[in-house]
Amino acid sequence: MTGASKVLTEARLRVALSASDSLRHRALSRLLIDAGYIVVDVHDLADIVLADGDFIAGEKRPTVILGDSDQSVSGLLPRHADAHQIDAALRAVAAGLVVRPPAAKETGFAPMNEVPDVEGLLTPREVEVLSAIMDGLTNKLIARKLDISLHTVKFHVESVFRKLGVGTRAEAVAKALDSNHFKMIKL
Amino acid sequence: MTEQANILAQFSNALIESNVAANARVAAIQITTGRYITGSLWRSDVVITSEQSLPGREEFDLMAAGGATVKAKTVGRDVGTNLAVLKLEEPLSAANVVSAGAHVGALAVAFGADGGGHATARLGVVNTVASEWYSSYGGRIEQKIVLDIELARSEEGGPVFDASRGLLGMTTFGPRRQVLVIPTATIERIVPILLRHGRIARGWLGVALRPVAVPEALEKAAGQSSGLMVMSLTDGGPAANAGIVAGDIILSVDGASTRRMRNITARLGAESIGRGVDLRFIRGGAVTSRQATITERPSS
Repeated sequence: MTGASKVLTEARLRVALSASDSLRHRALSRLLIDAGYIVVDVHDLADIVLADGDFIAGEKRPTVILGDSDQSVSGLLPRHADAHQIDAALRAVAAGLVVRPPAAKETGFAPMNEVPDVEGLLTPREVEVLSAIMDGLTNKLIARKLDISLHTVKFHVESVFRKLGVGTRAEAVAKALDSNHFKMIKL
Repeated sequence: MTEQANILAQFSNALIESNVAANARVAAIQITTGRYITGSLWRSDVVITSEQSLPGREEFDLMAAGGATVKAKTVGRDVGTNLAVLKLEEPLSAANVVSAGAHVGALAVAFGADGGGHATARLGVVNTVASEWYSSYGGRIEQKIVLDIELARSEEGGPVFDASRGLLGMTTFGPRRQVLVIPTATIERIVPILLRHGRIARGWLGVALRPVAVPEALEKAAGQSSGLMVMSLTDGGPAANAGIVAGDIILSVDGASTRRMRNITARLGAESIGRGVDLRFIRGGAVTSRQATITERPSS
């Protein structure tokens, strides 16, 4: 056996599938086979368990559950997780990692975001420049899009970086994606 | 050491007594087979629980003290104050409780239901008490109360008592699973409305906004250094009808500066529906204003 085919054989994980709804069982089974897994009965020898809905009492093997929030389980996915998410979660949990969805419920009951201090706020022009950066535009393209000089664009970009406390465009995009400053307020 | 002097035993016995009393006040609300959250008996036929953890169903099975199963219907829910109200098909007996104020450092016992007809208990102290606050959904909560207690997921929605068995409120998971208390005063205000109307009406403008700095040249005319830029509008919503367009920077709503979100939220309560408000905003380098008529926020 060559090294490559050995790796391939090892990659075929045996998944014990548990789903009380027969339609769900069939759909999940299909999905797993298509993704290259070996699907076995829930009581058979398996590398990992995929359970639809309820946790199986006393299950000691690494488990991924769809649509449950039992925190003692290694893998938690929303009920309608797609094939890619299920595949990724099974591999991660089989490798000994913990998988959690970024569920909105996990954030809990939170206070309203107050408007940040003005020092950190962008001007409307800077907001336009930042969204152009997020679209992947170069300074030259931003200048053309907003019909301003390249010099002015550079000036705005510097100001955006200073206000966000970042040094690169990639950092600016990351910050804009997860910062409170950019949460929409709906009234 | 005499029994009299054993203060730890007295303390423990007092806790046991309060648990016995609380047992009749909690019910396990079945979410799925084997999974529960806690409901607090508010009246003999009304149970309240944590809105954020209650699935959107019409009917639930409740396991009351002693293991009796009772059916209950969802009659109202409010994301703003995280309260959901269930009406029981058959009333349960519940001793009267008195509400109590929260004090930092005071002992607090949080109760839950275990799904087998028993109460569970958690002991801690009141960690924080602060003035009224607004939730991210715009609901007003009379007091900010945080406990230094950890709760199991199934225990959320249960009652919290102080050492004199006064009711502080209902437990709720906050950010990072911090345990907050929805105060009794908030419950007393919201539950009757939910029983009557099923929801809490809130005022609505139909805009999505983003905080921005006011361009320097306009700061003087605007009288403030930040505002809320309109990113999108709901077609046919109050702001759109008033002629607000994307890109306008709103400075104030009915005289309340957009510098403070809670001032704005306070002006969009149920009583605001149907009222005309003045929207002051920047457009095209000048400060101007329009009248908008607040409508009721559509249920999302």
